[in-house]
Amino acid sequence: MPAKARILVVEDNMDEAKLVKMALEPEGYEVITTANGKQAQEHISKEALDLIVLDVMMPEMDGFAFCSWLKKNKEYENIPVILLTGVGEHIYDSKYPLKGVMHADADEYLEKPVKPEDLLDTISKLLK
Amino acid sequence: MNRSKIINCWDFRQCAHGPGSTDPCPVVDDVASDGVNSGKNAGRICWTVSNTPCFNNDANSFPQKRKICVSCSFYHRVKREEGEGFQYFKIAQGVQEAEALHTTISQMEHLIDINNRLNSGFDLYETIGEITEEARKVTGSQRSIVFLVKGDPPVLQGEFKLRGKKTLVSIPIDENSAVGYSASTNRIVSLGDIHKKVNAGSGPVFNKSFDAQCNCNTHSLIAVPVQDSEKRNIGVITAVNAKKGFFSADDEWFMCTYANQVALAVEKQKFLQQSISALRLASIGETVAGLSHCIKNIAHALRGSSYIIKRAIDTNNVRDIGAAWEILDRHIENLANLSLDVLSYNPETQEGMKEKSLNGLVKHTIELFQEEAKARAIRLNMEAGENVDPCLFDARGIYRCLINLITNAFDSCPLSEGSVTVSTRRVGEKTLMISVSDNGRGMDENTRAEVFGLFETSNPASGSGLGLPTVADIVKKHNGRIELDTSPGKGTTFRLIIDEL
Repeated sequence: MPAKARILVVEDNMDEAKLVKMALEPEGYEVITTANGKQAQEHISKEALDLIVLDVMMPEMDGFAFCSWLKKNKEYENIPVILLTGVGEHIYDSKYPLKGVMHADADEYLEKPVKPEDLLDTISKLLK
Repeated sequence: MNRSKIINCWDFRQCAHGPGSTDPCPVVDDVASDGVNSGKNAGRICWTVSNTPCFNNDANSFPQKRKICVSCSFYHRVKREEGEGFQYFKIAQGVQEAEALHTTISQMEHLIDINNRLNSGFDLYETIGEITEEARKVTGSQRSIVFLVKGDPPVLQGEFKLRGKKTLVSIPIDENSAVGYSASTNRIVSLGDIHKKVNAGSGPVFNKSFDAQCNCNTHSLIAVPVQDSEKRNIGVITAVNAKKGFFSADDEWFMCTYANQVALAVEKQKFLQQSISALRLASIGETVAGLSHCIKNIAHALRGSSYIIKRAIDTNNVRDIGAAWEILDRHIENLANLSLDVLSYNPETQEGMKEKSLNGLVKHTIELFQEEAKARAIRLNMEAGENVDPCLFDARGIYRCLINLITNAFDSCPLSEGSVTVSTRRVGEKTLMISVSDNGRGMDENTRAEVFGLFETSNPASGSGLGLPTVADIVKKHNGRIELDTSPGKGTTFRLIIDEL
């Protein structure tokens, strides 16, 4: 690997953020964590990112809102995004009627509980 | 009556659209009504004529006018002057026995009353009581009783009040009595001058035990089957008369209409019950959905940490084992707490349990929703009132109200920065208030009226799975009322004001 790929993990649950970090770092990735979409927005201008792992449901700015902001932004639209969520279909139906459109914004979508192996596979596929 | 004193509406109101004017009112030209209530054309039955220019009311078809006209002093003058011969409705010319028809039609008012009651606060036995009371009055009979098919094996069960005391009557569904015959054949039975009649050996017969059971002295009886929407027999409505004679064709027609009203009432109750059990399932569904989110998150962490531990063992990375083990441990603990919570605190499992702590119930309900709230980026807060506890209430019912109202509040919250607050307060010695507020999209006047109408009519047919009829039902059991504060973009607050049990 020429340089360490830099991955931003946006996740409000500290345990989960830590687990993702622990899973990714030994695979040679540089991992930065932020707790919500707003913090991620602030961070993204500071350094170049290769990929974003994004939790959907977070306080302040949630994953969908962040993802659609990101993909509308010419500067960042090419950064691949993996959405992680533990939410059941019922919530999409009532609150996110545009589910298809929303998901289309992200490059990949993994439903919790996510197997770390699947996350690693997805990351390496998107970074190729 | 002195004809010279009879005046028509245009004279009474000194109307500019009277006879001879350039723009005469339709009343003036209504030749068909000439002579009704002693007037010239429709001059004394003007309330039945559409598009009259009085009261500057443009949209005044008969139903729209009705309310305005019956408060008009001219209407009351005509009614007073005409006395018993007063005609409220316009009857087409050529109708025989116009007066009898007129009486019949004006009795429609009674039906309208019952219909209104069917659409307002609903209690099956109260409504049936009102229907039989009307049926008794309208047919001029001694007693009217509704029998409903009940039990296994099915029998006809009726209920009536005798000197204020409830009396139950049970009649088998067979052809040994007029009432049983009506139910078993789904046909109208009208028997007149029972005591004179010789039993012809076929067709319905009067069973004398009816008099003993229903405390009456029957000379004539009418029994009309009550059918549900699929034409199945679900009961019989009867009227009995101690006087000699028959029930008339009008009476029969009325009894059929009352039978329909009873059927509507029974179906409405059935529907309410079904919708309540459906809503009960839905509220369990909501709880499970909320839980499943919790469980998925825990499973996610368990999977992640076990992966790290396994890899750390392979690579002999003690530091990672320690860190991941700590997370694993914490989530196992979460899982254990979660299942304990659900098992120990599910009011659904405790029929009619009376709770001593309203704040406790609200706190637990909020904890259950907290994970989903977080997932939906909603701040879910509780403002616990002072002196609320201890108190007595139907914990299961109030729990269901909270689930319904919190779920609705969640659904109307904005995509981010949503906020839902549940608060409790003691507002009287035995009166409590529970409110659920959100900062969501709010409702306009029409939606508000619709939603509030849901409470008032408890009509789940117009509901949208909101669960509001259930809430209304539970609040009603607590002698309570519901208040709703909302406007577009300004959020919604539901307040339940309930009496302690």
